[in-house]
Amino acid sequence: MNETLKILSILLSYPDEAMAGAMREIRQAVAGLGGISQAQKGLIEMLASDIAGLDLFDAQERYVYLFDRTRTLSLHLFEHVHGESRDRGQAMVDLLAMYEADGLEIDAREMPDYLPVFLEYLSVKPQAEAAELLGQVAHIVVALGERLKKRGSVYANAFAVLEELAAGKPDAALVGELVGAPEHDPADLEALDRVWEEEAVTFGGNAGEGSCGPDRLQRQMRAHTRKPDAAAPANPL
Amino acid sequence: MSHLLNRLNFLAKKNTGTFSDGHGVTTTENRDWEDAYRKRWQHDKIVRSTHGVNCTGSCSWKIYVKGGIVTWETQQTDYPRTRPDLPNHEPRGCARGASYSWYMYSANRVKHPLIRSRLLKLWRKERAVKTPIGAWEAIQTDPAKRAAYTSIRGHGGFVRASWDEVNEIIAAANAWTAKTYGPDRVIGFSPIPAMSMVSYAAGSRYLSLLGGTCMSFYDWYCDLPPASPMTWGEQTDVPESADWYNAGFLILWGSNVPQTRTPDAHFYTEARYKGAKSVVVSPDYSEAAKFSDIWLHPKQGTDAALAMAMGHVVLREFHLDRQAEYFEDYCRRYTDMPMLVKLVKKNGHFVPDRLLRASDFKGALGEKNNPEWKTVAIDGKTKKPVTPAGSVGFRWGEQGKWNLESKDGKGRDVELDMSFVLDGEHDEVASVAFPYFGNREHDHFQGTDHQSVLLRSVPARKLKLAEGDTLVATVFDLFVANYGLDRGFNDATCATSYDDNVPYTPAWAEKITGVPRDHIITVAREFARNAEKTNGRSMVILGAGLNHWYHMDMNYRGIINLLVMCGCVGQSGGGWSHYVGQEKLRPQTGWLPLAFGLDWSRPPRQMNSTSFFYAHTDQWRYETLTVDEILSPTAPEGPWDGTLIDYNIRAERMGWLPSAPQLKTNPLAVAKAAAEAGQEAKDYVAARLKAGDLEMSCEDPDDPANWPRNMFVWRSNLLGSSGKGHEYFLKHLLGTQNGLMGKDLGEEGRQRAREAKWHDEAPEGKLDLLVTLDFRMSTTCVYSDIVLPTATWYEKNDLNTSDMHPFIHPLSSAADPAWEARSDWEIFKGIARKFSDVAPEILGVEKDVVLVPIQHDTPAEMAQPFDVKDWKTGAVEPMPGKTMPAVAVVERDYPNLYKRFTALGPLMDKLGNGGKGISWNTEHEVEALGKLNGVVTEDGPTKGRPRIESDIDATEVILMLAPETNGEVAVKAWEALSKNTGRDHTHLAVPKEDEKIRFRDVVAQPRKIISSPTWSGLESEKVCYNACYTNVHELIPWRTITGRQQLYQDHLWMRAFGEAFCVYRPPIDTKTVNPMIEEKSAGKKSVVLNFITPHQKWGIHSTYSDNLLMLTLNRGGPVVWISEEDARTAGLVDNDWVEVFNTNGAIVARAVVSQRMKQGTIYMYHAQEKIVNTPGSQLTQQRGGIHNSVTRAITKPTHMIGGYVQQSYGFNYYGTVGANRDEFVVVHKLEKVDWMEDPLDETVTPKEAAE
Repeated sequence: MNETLKILSILLSYPDEAMAGAMREIRQAVAGLGGISQAQKGLIEMLASDIAGLDLFDAQERYVYLFDRTRTLSLHLFEHVHGESRDRGQAMVDLLAMYEADGLEIDAREMPDYLPVFLEYLSVKPQAEAAELLGQVAHIVVALGERLKKRGSVYANAFAVLEELAAGKPDAALVGELVGAPEHDPADLEALDRVWEEEAVTFGGNAGEGSCGPDRLQRQMRAHTRKPDAAAPANPL
Repeated sequence: MSHLLNRLNFLAKKNTGTFSDGHGVTTTENRDWEDAYRKRWQHDKIVRSTHGVNCTGSCSWKIYVKGGIVTWETQQTDYPRTRPDLPNHEPRGCARGASYSWYMYSANRVKHPLIRSRLLKLWRKERAVKTPIGAWEAIQTDPAKRAAYTSIRGHGGFVRASWDEVNEIIAAANAWTAKTYGPDRVIGFSPIPAMSMVSYAAGSRYLSLLGGTCMSFYDWYCDLPPASPMTWGEQTDVPESADWYNAGFLILWGSNVPQTRTPDAHFYTEARYKGAKSVVVSPDYSEAAKFSDIWLHPKQGTDAALAMAMGHVVLREFHLDRQAEYFEDYCRRYTDMPMLVKLVKKNGHFVPDRLLRASDFKGALGEKNNPEWKTVAIDGKTKKPVTPAGSVGFRWGEQGKWNLESKDGKGRDVELDMSFVLDGEHDEVASVAFPYFGNREHDHFQGTDHQSVLLRSVPARKLKLAEGDTLVATVFDLFVANYGLDRGFNDATCATSYDDNVPYTPAWAEKITGVPRDHIITVAREFARNAEKTNGRSMVILGAGLNHWYHMDMNYRGIINLLVMCGCVGQSGGGWSHYVGQEKLRPQTGWLPLAFGLDWSRPPRQMNSTSFFYAHTDQWRYETLTVDEILSPTAPEGPWDGTLIDYNIRAERMGWLPSAPQLKTNPLAVAKAAAEAGQEAKDYVAARLKAGDLEMSCEDPDDPANWPRNMFVWRSNLLGSSGKGHEYFLKHLLGTQNGLMGKDLGEEGRQRAREAKWHDEAPEGKLDLLVTLDFRMSTTCVYSDIVLPTATWYEKNDLNTSDMHPFIHPLSSAADPAWEARSDWEIFKGIARKFSDVAPEILGVEKDVVLVPIQHDTPAEMAQPFDVKDWKTGAVEPMPGKTMPAVAVVERDYPNLYKRFTALGPLMDKLGNGGKGISWNTEHEVEALGKLNGVVTEDGPTKGRPRIESDIDATEVILMLAPETNGEVAVKAWEALSKNTGRDHTHLAVPKEDEKIRFRDVVAQPRKIISSPTWSGLESEKVCYNACYTNVHELIPWRTITGRQQLYQDHLWMRAFGEAFCVYRPPIDTKTVNPMIEEKSAGKKSVVLNFITPHQKWGIHSTYSDNLLMLTLNRGGPVVWISEEDARTAGLVDNDWVEVFNTNGAIVARAVVSQRMKQGTIYMYHAQEKIVNTPGSQLTQQRGGIHNSVTRAITKPTHMIGGYVQQSYGFNYYGTVGANRDEFVVVHKLEKVDWMEDPLDETVTPKEAAE
């Protein structure tokens, strides 16, 4: 079992009593991790100690706020790939089939694309294969990491490590698409308007190609979620 | 030589060769490439379901499931075929429904039970050392602890919790509240049961067994047209959409069928192909307008003037100058037009008084049973007064004479006189006063300068009554005079020509509405001509555009008058098609016992929501509309003082409207006190109320003893969609940050209520606990204390019916609820189970005193025949069920609440089942249910009773008990009605006696329902469902005072407020704009506009308005529509951000500048979510609000009337309504856009959060 991935799967799950109770054990396991750099170990340890150090309620409130309530930080991978498109159902079916091909089934009330589920699955796969699969979602990992970093959230650490564990570099264009410009300046109305602007119809060629593809949907989704995060507790991050 | 050896005898070469004359070639090449798309459309199973709460479509959908995951949906096309010469129902469905599966796995889905962490922290701390009840008590009795979580509602801070834990908190809260304040302080709001009736019933069954209060929705949504009960004694019985096809002339009036009734719109198109004429009446160039032969675009809110002018034309040409035979016969037999009205002298002229009754005569015209409730007409043959059969007095206390045969009470044939003018039978011509309101000043509505009292000549007869000689006139003669038609009396205030500027001529209407008079004349004439030629196949489809005005009754009655005078109501292809909201729960009498626990205890507690929210969100404290602004100049003497809430309080005291909470004292304690005093509860309550030591809660809504304490919201986005006066909700009911800018009457120093107690300090945060069940994180969830994840419409089993088609349709579970979600049935079952665990600490078997308003369709509806007397003033004794609410004692078995929830109780066997005034024995059905669902085998109070464990069990209860889905019951129901009418109606159901529809049947294919007396239309192979069809064709009376269609409303309050007859009333002045212009818009370019909230194309209310697929089709966030002229005035261009505000609050949205819009109006589509792309407002320093942020509910006294036959209370039948279209707003450009992305800092500026 790849312990690093297993530990990250746990740390990215909802911080419940069970996790709180196992925090000592987890941190010991982090200290004993092999196959990763000291720096990586440090990042994980920092995340673990941060969660352990918080009042459990505060940790939970933070988790719900970040991952349950903020759409752009959803830990359901296909939210970022397929968004609202109908391909999402099929993608989940495929992922489920992959788990099943390895003799595993989901034993919790979760969807197959939930990152901790995926990481747990990878943790039982051979190293190279895990890295390869992780590489396939690297652009999402990077994008989520970026967003968390921008918020100054310690959860970014987990994503930094995952990025390094993934095989190959994520496609910069894909990452760019995900990280997306409009989010940087929420007061920029013109940027918002650009996102929602109707594409002019031109005839011939690939006219209007982006008008209903997933890219455009994702762009609009980001605009759509530029809703205030004021729901946050006094210091959510 | 034979070819036998050379050719293949038995085999052929596969897949080679050509076809289609060589244009096609078959090959044997590899076809693996096809896998990609084959796999794409593969699925394990297809499940039938539909979309559950807020859409009337009831469309059949195929839900595709693969690996336990819903992958997509497509339209089903297997509805049962219609008969020849009628198009089929397919295709049904629209873009909104087709994008629903998105919700299931969306990031916006509520996945786990959520709770405010501050509340959970407090709870766990207390719970560690206390019982559940003790823990809840500890939190509630410490103001600091309570405020810790109530004051941050709407500001995030949620954590997950287990089902077990949240159920325990909710159960403890409910039990403690019942014990401390009374079970009626536990409130539940859920709308539109028809669309997922088991899900609704889950919550209402729990609440009803507990003694909690179920809230109405139809009136609160302002979808309920009070004109319908006033006229017919029935609520929203309408033709199905297929019947549009049978019409020869269709008017769409304030309804936008292609946009808001998408799956039904094809019948409209098909009717036009067939040759039907179509007129669309809409101020804006709506989607429907392009279908019209004539598009009439009156100024918004003046529709009654248009309808009155059309009525004027029809009366002149088809009733006076020439009597169309069909119209005259119809009006004589089916309307109150021949009935007599007393004329009473006031200020030197006559005023129409109440309808004459048999009891007004010496000897009561020989009527012994209910003579006060038998109306009187003149028989044309004998010229003597008679009591025509069918009036309400014949309905109760005797049998066989409640019908519409042309007979009097003694069975003699009669032919009633409609008018005294034709044969010169009148004794004199009386000068009768009619009120005129079109001269009242309004900044934005043009009036005329006619007198407030119009004196018109009416032919009258003198009759010898017990009180002496009295002048009477027929309703018809008064009705015609009200329309301003000269009868040959050379009356200066009546019109002889359509060009006279006299109310209500076409020339007059042109001034008010802006519609050219010749358009009015043409449309009216052709409408009536078609009806005359086809026996009533002229139809009006009318919608929210008319019904959401304060004076909606005038819009509606103007149109109803038109339909009735043309004999269209109750005829195929004709009549009144009100499609606003959705009310038709077809298997109603099967559902009621399940939903309100009538199998265990009766009566349930039900409340009209408008009055409730008006009082408990303290909107009454800000009331700007005074009674003298709406009172009639012809009002009889009466106590027309006080403010609007005072009228509501009087209505509650007199047993007209329900109350919640009911008494200031805990009703469990009242029952004990009565027992100790050795008195029956009803005598005890009446005596103590009179003495003043028992108080009704309505008299002091701000006293903490009278606050609602726990509230459930399920299947609804109460705060994000339907909460008129949104900011008042936030401030007073929830106690959180809000954008309210107006001051209350205390601060303003204006007139205060007389009956309601005033507290200088208004309460903020009345609710201890707000629990919302939803599958998506709606605006209401965001403001709740506990959010419970519920199953989506593809994850549960339920039933669904619509008024748009006659089928009963299932919702069925395609996949288990995702994450930790549960169906509504399972959620409330879980709460019930926990409740029974924790409650016994403080609650056992208790007696609960329940106050019930005087109910329609019961003998009690004949409570107050003449005057209005309030016992509080000493004018009359408080007599339960007669002059005050009825008082009942109900036994609550709190420790066994869960057991009761999950089994059908014994009252069905003991008391039977029924509805709308008839009842039947239902033992056979209960027995059959026991066999179908199994019976409880465990010991206890439910042993041997039929089980209701699962949602499917619950559907079977409905289907088994309802006449609409069980032919045997239908026959019994018709038999019961036949006894009342003295006519045999069983032929309507006998052919289907053996038909019993089961849940699995409707899953296999939607089933057409069976005709039942619960409804006034028929399901047959010959006609489409059309309301009032059985009244006209089976001679079953309408459930009104005269038993006929009631065009004259004779209750004292109707006369006092000027609405005995239909009149034109301009919109009211809400006075919310002028105080704001100076203060907030000084020096800026701005424009004042009428704020209208029609339904949208990209959502169904707030559902889908956060669905990206739908947002992509719109502009991606909140928008308002304004005209080019208004945009110029305010210096706006398309897509500008604007602030829209008045004293109620502010909205921030993008402007859509469009030629479609009529100058003077602003449209904001109903319910765009606050959580989507909404920046902050500079005015309120809060996030821009929702469409209801600039509205406030204003109640109307005529909607409070009760104890008077058709104007008696019924749940979702009659009551105050949440009108909102009379509101005006200031619009100006938003200078700075602030997305308010910083976290909430409670110490600095109040920034409300949307997430």
